Amino acid sequence: MTAKPIEADRIWRGIALLAAYGLPIFFILLPLCGFLVYSLFWVEGTELHYELTLVNYRRFFTDEIYVPVLRQTVVLCLEVAGLCIAFGYPVAYFLSGLKGRKKYTLLMLLLVPLLMSYIIKMYAIRSILGGNGFLNRSLIALGIIDQPLTFFVFNLNAVLLTLSVLLLPFAILPIFLSLERIPKNLLEASADLGGSNAQSFFRVILPLSLPGVISAATFVFVLAIGDFLTPQMVGGQSGFTFGRIIYSQFGTAFNWPFGSALSVILAAVVIVAILVGARFGGEKAGVHR
Amino acid sequence: MKRSPLATLLLSLVTLLVFILLYGPIFIPIVTSFFTVKYGSVDWSQMNLDAYAKLTGNEGVIEAVENTFIVGLSAVAASLVLGTVIALHCNSGKSRSRALLQFVVFLPFLMPPIITGLSLLIFFREVSIDRSMLTIIIGHTVFVLALVYRTILVRLQGIGFSMIEASYDLGASAPQTFFYVLLPNLKSALIGAGVLAFALSFDETMITILVTGTQNTLPLRLWAMMRLGFTPDINALVAIILALTTVMVLIAARYLIPKDFAGADA
Repeated sequence: MTAKPIEADRIWRGIALLAAYGLPIFFILLPLCGFLVYSLFWVEGTELHYELTLVNYRRFFTDEIYVPVLRQTVVLCLEVAGLCIAFGYPVAYFLSGLKGRKKYTLLMLLLVPLLMSYIIKMYAIRSILGGNGFLNRSLIALGIIDQPLTFFVFNLNAVLLTLSVLLLPFAILPIFLSLERIPKNLLEASADLGGSNAQSFFRVILPLSLPGVISAATFVFVLAIGDFLTPQMVGGQSGFTFGRIIYSQFGTAFNWPFGSALSVILAAVVIVAILVGARFGGEKAGVHR
Repeated sequence: MKRSPLATLLLSLVTLLVFILLYGPIFIPIVTSFFTVKYGSVDWSQMNLDAYAKLTGNEGVIEAVENTFIVGLSAVAASLVLGTVIALHCNSGKSRSRALLQFVVFLPFLMPPIITGLSLLIFFREVSIDRSMLTIIIGHTVFVLALVYRTILVRLQGIGFSMIEASYDLGASAPQTFFYVLLPNLKSALIGAGVLAFALSFDETMITILVTGTQNTLPLRLWAMMRLGFTPDINALVAIILALTTVMVLIAARYLIPKDFAGADA
């Protein structure tokens, strides 16, 4: 019982350590680094040149398509975040006022759709929003309009609405958590000092829940800006987003280095969003500071 | 603070609206799957299972279901083993290399899936791995690893070191400690994380679409079918998938939510 098991232990431990570091480095870190390097290569026709150059980045900043599309996409995703918060905040606030079991059951029910097939929801929303869709037909049947509305059919508005519905649960959870963390005695103090409900809400609850709102906005923004399938499905010809442009570089346009450069720029935007979220939102900036 | 009745009414109305927004897109395909759809409108007069019968003859769908399960189960197995190993290592001390490892594991979860997918796509091409089921499995494992790792780590931190030390003091070897002490305590976390990872893999589309060769998983199959246009068997397929997802969610919730969570402030 002496030397052998310990020797075997050491071998197993070595293998485990190798796997623990090797696999993530090989399949996560290495591809991401390779990706950065790829964005510095260039393509001529169908031939890939493995030479370092900044030509892809120069193209991004000088061509008149890409910067405006990125700006438009960022604005779109901020609008998605805004819509999600506008609907998510009242829901989170409503939940935080409930008691015991009911509160967490409702919260679960609001989060479950996140695990429900994303493609299916996207498809269903498309069939609701379409020119001949459920929404237009209901509005016509109710006599509110007599021509199908087109402002939410296969354009950026459709992308905005679809992404908002898909990502709404991501906004509810952080706001709910920040509302739950507000100590009850602060609200009692506010009431004792003669604060009305509205005053307590705007002077105490709202400011203290802002970190949760910022986390929510960050989550929604990051998830929305990386999505290239939703705009493809509901955006039609005019609903062009940055994600779609990147995807097309790897499909029809077949310019992988340029697509990589665009993705690096996307990653930079995402990192900025995450840093802003980490600085002003979430756990650290919570009630206890 | 007592809320005014008007505020409560408004808040519950918004909540109701949000429930409709979230569940409407899920229920509409289920309901319509039982009826015949013609020229874009639903014939409500009689319920039938035609769409489901038609589905059993659709070979592409059956193959996609098989692929989805192969990918999901493999990714779950790989991520559970790797996640456990990494969690055990990171829980055993503090060091810069552990912090870096943890950061790397979280990267695919922080970055948009398009970036994870594209970086793997380029990587596979450069190291000459042909795109296949294997590449999909790698993509899914990388994607769900952060969640699995995090779940196991949280449980390990809950167990603490005293039990492990007791095991060693009583003369158990490292494998014995792992199999007789740690594993039983990790069991529910592993099941919960595994089911959740399977649910994520089951639905994963953006990474899959980038790293797949010719193989279809269910979301890819649905994506292709939907782009071609509307057929009733899509709705039947959708209903089946949603039923499966619901079951998975219930199982995951049962294993991951602590018993006292529901009554936390009651």
